Amino acid sequence: MAAFATLISQTADLIPSGKAHLRDTTQDGARTLDAFLISVERKAFKIAQLALRHEADALDVVQDAMLQLSSRYASRPADEWRPLFYRILENRIRDVQRRRAVRNRVMAFLPWRADEEDQESDPIAQAVDRSPAPPAQLESDEMLGALERALTALPNRQRQAFLLRNFEGLDVAATAVAMKCSEGSVKTHYFRAIQALRSKLGEFWT
Amino acid sequence: MKADQTHPESSEFERRTRVLLNDSAARLPAAVRSRLTQARYAALAACGARRPSLARRWVPAGALAAAALALLLVGVPGGKKSLETPAANAGLEDIELLTDSDAVPLNGDQDVDYDFYEWAAGEATGPTSPSVGS
Repeated sequence: MAAFATLISQTADLIPSGKAHLRDTTQDGARTLDAFLISVERKAFKIAQLALRHEADALDVVQDAMLQLSSRYASRPADEWRPLFYRILENRIRDVQRRRAVRNRVMAFLPWRADEEDQESDPIAQAVDRSPAPPAQLESDEMLGALERALTALPNRQRQAFLLRNFEGLDVAATAVAMKCSEGSVKTHYFRAIQALRSKLGEFWT
Repeated sequence: MKADQTHPESSEFERRTRVLLNDSAARLPAAVRSRLTQARYAALAACGARRPSLARRWVPAGALAAAALALLLVGVPGGKKSLETPAANAGLEDIELLTDSDAVPLNGDQDVDYDFYEWAAGEATGPTSPSVGS
């Protein structure tokens, strides 16, 4: 927090002393934006990680989304930030997925590189808790692993709808803005995601 | 468009999945949390670096255009003269000729005093000829 306080004071110093109200407004805006980013960063990372199955790529897309939100949309009303942020995040995730698809097509002609790609670890699939945990924790971890595997197996749009609605807590309208589709499509994707997850996770939830 | 935090319509299945995911988000590794904090600071720094206003962004372009126009009007040799075309001046000269009462009449030769012009030409070139006025 000390670094953030320094950052705010440095930003405020750019404003002439005769315009104290602007200085206050800037500090309030920076604090509001900081609070917003704190509120979304972990869930955004989880959403990106589930979509990309790669920790470094997930961190990169979250950082890109934060940068774009703050540089382009910080002046927008704060209640518009959440759907905008997730819209940017989904766009970045899609960009990475497209780049991977192109790279994989190219790498298909290079068998030695394709083998290296195959050896790339999947942190979700290989997540192991090394510390001794109580049985309840072990059961929870096992359920989480199953849930994450089921989520990564979902089609992109269904996974987006499920995570934005159920995990992030956006309502249907905000989810539609984030997914750039109609509210009816959001409801359809969400319903199908629930059905697919229920069918895959039934053994864990009964 | 506010976040629906309460999920009143959620089923037990949805609630359990949400609890699991929230729990996993709360237990992120320290290295990931550190990277997220760094990303947040970078985003706030980008927000702090205020972009110039639209008017200020157009100032250099406006200054450049004004300088180019000034160069065109003043710096180009003969630039001012080129604006005064012969066609433009012809109208003014015609008006001066028509309004000048001392000028040579242009509507025919019935009012022209040719003797006077002949005498004036002789005066200008040499002494008065004896035949003149005899």
